[in-house]
Amino acid sequence: MSELAVHDLHAGYGGAQVLHGVSLTVAEGEICAILGPNGAGKTTLLRALSGMVKGRGSVKLDGAELLGRPPDALARLGVAHVPEGRGTFMPLTVEENLRLGAYVRRSGVEDDLERIYTYFPALKPRLKQAAGSLSGGEQQMLALGRALMLRPRLLLLDEPSLGLAPLITRELFHIVRTINEQERTTVVVVEQNAHLALGVAQQAHVLETGRIVLSGTAADIRADEQVAQSYLGYRV
Amino acid sequence: MSESTQVSDRTTTREQAPVRPGATKWRWAAAAALLAAAVYAPFQLVPFHVFQLTMVLIYAVALLGLNLLVGHAGQISLGHGAFFAVGAYTAAILLDRWDAPYPLTLPVAALVAFVLGLAFGVPAMRLRGLYLALVTLAIAIFLVPLLKRFEEVTGGSMGLSLAKPAPPAWTGLAEDQWLYFLALAVTVAAFLLAASLLRSRVGRALHAIRDNEAAAEVMGVRPAYYKTLAFAWSAMFAGIAGCVYTWVIGFVSPDSFVVNLSITLLAGLVVGGLGSLSGPVLGALFVMFVPSISQDINEAAPGVIFGLLIIAVMYVAPTGLAGLAGRATNSIKKTLRKG
Ligand SMILES: Nc1ncnc2c1ncn2[C@@H]1O[C@H](COP(=O)(O)OP(=O)(O)OP(=O)(O)O)[C@@H](O)[C@H]1O
Ligand SMILES: [Mg+2]
Repeated sequence: MSELAVHDLHAGYGGAQVLHGVSLTVAEGEICAILGPNGAGKTTLLRALSGMVKGRGSVKLDGAELLGRPPDALARLGVAHVPEGRGTFMPLTVEENLRLGAYVRRSGVEDDLERIYTYFPALKPRLKQAAGSLSGGEQQMLALGRALMLRPRLLLLDEPSLGLAPLITRELFHIVRTINEQERTTVVVVEQNAHLALGVAQQAHVLETGRIVLSGTAADIRADEQVAQSYLGYRV
Repeated sequence: MSESTQVSDRTTTREQAPVRPGATKWRWAAAAALLAAAVYAPFQLVPFHVFQLTMVLIYAVALLGLNLLVGHAGQISLGHGAFFAVGAYTAAILLDRWDAPYPLTLPVAALVAFVLGLAFGVPAMRLRGLYLALVTLAIAIFLVPLLKRFEEVTGGSMGLSLAKPAPPAWTGLAEDQWLYFLALAVTVAAFLLAASLLRSRVGRALHAIRDNEAAAEVMGVRPAYYKTLAFAWSAMFAGIAGCVYTWVIGFVSPDSFVVNLSITLLAGLVVGGLGSLSGPVLGALFVMFVPSISQDINEAAPGVIFGLLIIAVMYVAPTGLAGLAGRATNSIKKTLRKG
């Protein structure tokens, strides 16, 4: 639904700079994959986009500046972030977790819950169960469902495949694609599983030590054999 | 530190049993039985025991407030007794100076404690853990000299003596029974209020902050707002408890609200069990009866026995008596099912 424009973004923790001038744009309704080695700053980039870490430069969503606003204000503007480790509230029930996702809205919550159950039928029988008792795959579905409850304009996903079996990962990416197509949600997804991420994304960027070292269409990046070997760690 | 570490820390410390559909029915039945027993009790007990139960109800309301802050919002307070005293003194001064009718003292005491809680909550929410503990402890420490200082209003170290609310003739109740039922009505109302608060969107937001503040914030929950509010609510419940205390005792003095009260309340809550609705009740029983039992065991050093009992309970039931009771009923149910 919305266009994201990041320009010359610097961000870090206290004194330590992690991002050194990241620029990228994601067109309305597109999926953008962020790839790169461990410690490159992928998580930090998403955190800067959702206000969890402070940044300098510019991050615009449909022309409105996001930098400098606290995370709760960005949630109100429609930025949904599924953080590294999913951010599930373990002692709360599945339903409570989902309702928390819609915290910033008061209307239409019941309809949205129904919508989430159609995407993730596995969650419906577990609504009253503590979220901590779900399997890893179910928890990732819950995290995604919770983010959708916000009716996001921009959806940020940090390594959705982490710790999941390949089959479940593929299913999850399929759902991300469906959501993106049906609701025209702009998505930025950070992923170690480059193959899968490039399968659903239109655009991709490779981040290394806080800088974008390569950008292109997902197909181009996938086709580039040298890139595949040096950055993505697999042979085509 | 990544979010995942925070989350998994929680996983190991909390019960994750799925909620069974029958559980709520059981809980309602237990609450109804408890209420029936509570209504029946004052007609069977001698006045002194009725008085003791009345005090249990008062402590339960105070602990209910402390539980909102500690068990549900994940904050700490070593100054809860100060807000209890604020409620008690507000009621006492209203009665003493203005001859206010009793029912009026309750909302006023609640409001005064709430506003003071808000005033302290704004700076307090910037602090965490031990720092917050220290600042709230300071509130409890400066209260007693403050009460002694404003002698004209507070009666200084002599305190204020007041008439207790008299039972209306139509009830046919003795004074101790009437006071008990007043306390019971306030307690039931306070528990219903807290329960509905916790079931609402507000309760979910509080729990989310307690469990994973960063994740709650990216969902739009403002931690600072809720922490301040939790502080104010907790103070309000303490103020309500303090007001009923004044009705029941008919006397307030600074020495009733020394720092020890705050510490005993926190200990009682932790022993009773954090984060559940039964925790405050069990904690109140502990606060009321254990110090006097320890006095019976050893006249010279009741504090020693009290302290040892706290250690013993925490060793046997690290999640408090409420957790122990929950585990006991679960295993009883299991045995019944097998048999
Ligand atoms: N909370 C923090 N405080 C200080 N430094 C941090 C913090 N989080 C991350 N860093 C540092 O920032 C750098 C980038 O970390 P980041 O988590 O963004 O990497 P990443 O690309 O997501 O890596 P991974 O693929 O392993 O998740 C690392 O050097 C890391 O040590
Ligand atoms: Mg990361």
